[in-house]
Amino acid sequence: MPYEALDFYDVDSLLTEEELMVRDMVREWVDDKVIPNIEQACRDGVFPDEWRQDLGEMGVLGAPLKGYGCPGLSYTAYGLICQELERGDSGLRSFASVQGSLAMYPIWDFGSEEQKEKYLPKMATGEYVGCFGLTEPDYGSNPGDMITRAEELEDGFLLNGAKMWITNGTIADLAVVWAKLDGKIRGFIVEKDDEGFSAPEMKGKHSLKASVTSELVFQDCKIPKDRILPNVSGLRGPFSCLNNARYGISWGAIGAAQACFNSAKEYALSRIQFDHPIASYQLVQNKLSWMLREITKGQLLAYHLGKKKDEGNWFPEQISLAKMNNVDIALEIARVARDIHGANGILDEYPIMRHMANLESVKTYEGTHDIHNLILGRYITGIQSFTRKL
Amino acid sequence: MVEIVVLVKQVPDTNAKIEIKDGRADLSMIKWITSPYDEYALEVALQHKEAVGGSVTALTLGPARCDKTLKDAKALGVDKIARVDVDEGYVDSLSIQSMLAEACKSLGAEVVYCGKAAADTNAGSTGPGVAEKLGWASIANVTNVVFADNSLELMQPAPEGQAKIGVNLPAVITCDKGMGEPRRANVKGIMMAKRAVVDLIETGNFEGNTSVIEHTSPPQKPPGKSYEGSEHVSEVVKLLRDEANVI
Repeated sequence: MPYEALDFYDVDSLLTEEELMVRDMVREWVDDKVIPNIEQACRDGVFPDEWRQDLGEMGVLGAPLKGYGCPGLSYTAYGLICQELERGDSGLRSFASVQGSLAMYPIWDFGSEEQKEKYLPKMATGEYVGCFGLTEPDYGSNPGDMITRAEELEDGFLLNGAKMWITNGTIADLAVVWAKLDGKIRGFIVEKDDEGFSAPEMKGKHSLKASVTSELVFQDCKIPKDRILPNVSGLRGPFSCLNNARYGISWGAIGAAQACFNSAKEYALSRIQFDHPIASYQLVQNKLSWMLREITKGQLLAYHLGKKKDEGNWFPEQISLAKMNNVDIALEIARVARDIHGANGILDEYPIMRHMANLESVKTYEGTHDIHNLILGRYITGIQSFTRKL
Repeated sequence: MVEIVVLVKQVPDTNAKIEIKDGRADLSMIKWITSPYDEYALEVALQHKEAVGGSVTALTLGPARCDKTLKDAKALGVDKIARVDVDEGYVDSLSIQSMLAEACKSLGAEVVYCGKAAADTNAGSTGPGVAEKLGWASIANVTNVVFADNSLELMQPAPEGQAKIGVNLPAVITCDKGMGEPRRANVKGIMMAKRAVVDLIETGNFEGNTSVIEHTSPPQKPPGKSYEGSEHVSEVVKLLRDEANVI
């Protein structure tokens, strides 16, 4: 059955011709290449390499960046790409988010001209895969206290420390790594063959199974002088990247929610109990109408935020709200969809459990749900509540 | 270098549910797509250009909504896009063929590709009709093409299996599947398509001599058969093999 996207408030009518064409291109690709293969990829625990190639050929990596071979699309188009990718799988959208927002973006915004020329064109085509090293085993929500250190040498920098929960780490050609140099957070580009650098894969995940998650280990890892990102210092660097990735997630979550809603609707219309389709029962209709309500609100939230991003008229708390809300409702929609599917909902014949398990990660990474609440709490009250150092 | 024209038709989505209102198909709310066999023709046209050089123009006939189909073709890599502007509503086959033939002439076409049949009418008349109007060779249902400078070598179904046909240009070729999956657009192509301008081609007025009296829906399919219990297995297998032809 062909995919019919829920668009109750006709958001499509607000999109430009170009945005619709990009969305439809990715939508068709996800239908043709991802959905028929995603369950096998999850069982095998791999991110299929042909997806990397296809994303590069379509030209959607680093979507909103301009120049250096990057697509230069609107933030709304970038959001739509994330939405369609995550309708396929959150792991796929994670790949694109990390490549574009977390690895390409800091080089594009904070890198030297030489760094931009060297890395960005090849990252835009998918030839180079990037990853982003911020989180550490003991420092997740609190990256400011990271342990990873950089020491300046005469002919380079020496990195020591470890990063954890790094999407794309093992398959990456380069890592944008955040480490403290003389007590200040700085960004460094580490290449996969640099001495003293390794990226072992983390195994045993029940979530994002078609995405590669790794540790990054730096043991006297020596890199040349020209690998420091010259134009940023402090947490502003990684947080700028996270703002872009979180923005993409706010759209992506709608894609996952749409996939669950569609499956639940089709199942409810075809599943007969007590002689009638379960879609004819009020409790099921209540669930479906709640899903439609939340998806529609989430779409408008993401769309409006996209317009603000395109106008350059936004602040980070707005992104926190959209990321937190849309992932929250997507996860709840996945749970309610599982309910509608009954026992069948746990099978990989349906996408429900996969999306549900994925969204547990999405709720946690890129700022946990709770941290985004605290960001909003600080915005409302003017009082930060992250630490007791008031 | 060859001037290639590919005819592309915008048709209702093949999954669309068409309603009849006052004796006419109501197409006001349906989604429009490029006719799938025309996508194969587009792929062949682009391969032709890649093989021997030249220029590809995607040509359609219809109202302004058909520009979407042209922009989609542009995103795939055609050089130019053109439309014969006609109002919404029925235009008979002979008129369509006459107008398209004139447009092909004005574009300087040396070879014309189109799908073997449009997904809405399934008539398969446009390609041969345009060839007739142009006085060119017509080869239908082609599954493979080998390109040369002024000639083509084509495969088409024949009573004996496959026939390999040689043809000197100019010619009109209608395409079946076979030359590989149509290519996918990319962002660069979409950006080009956004800026592309549709050339509107003037043709003479061709008055058709047919008209639609009424549209009706196809008859409802009879209800499916259902069987319960293992005692029906052999009967179900027989039906799947002999009636449904699926095993």
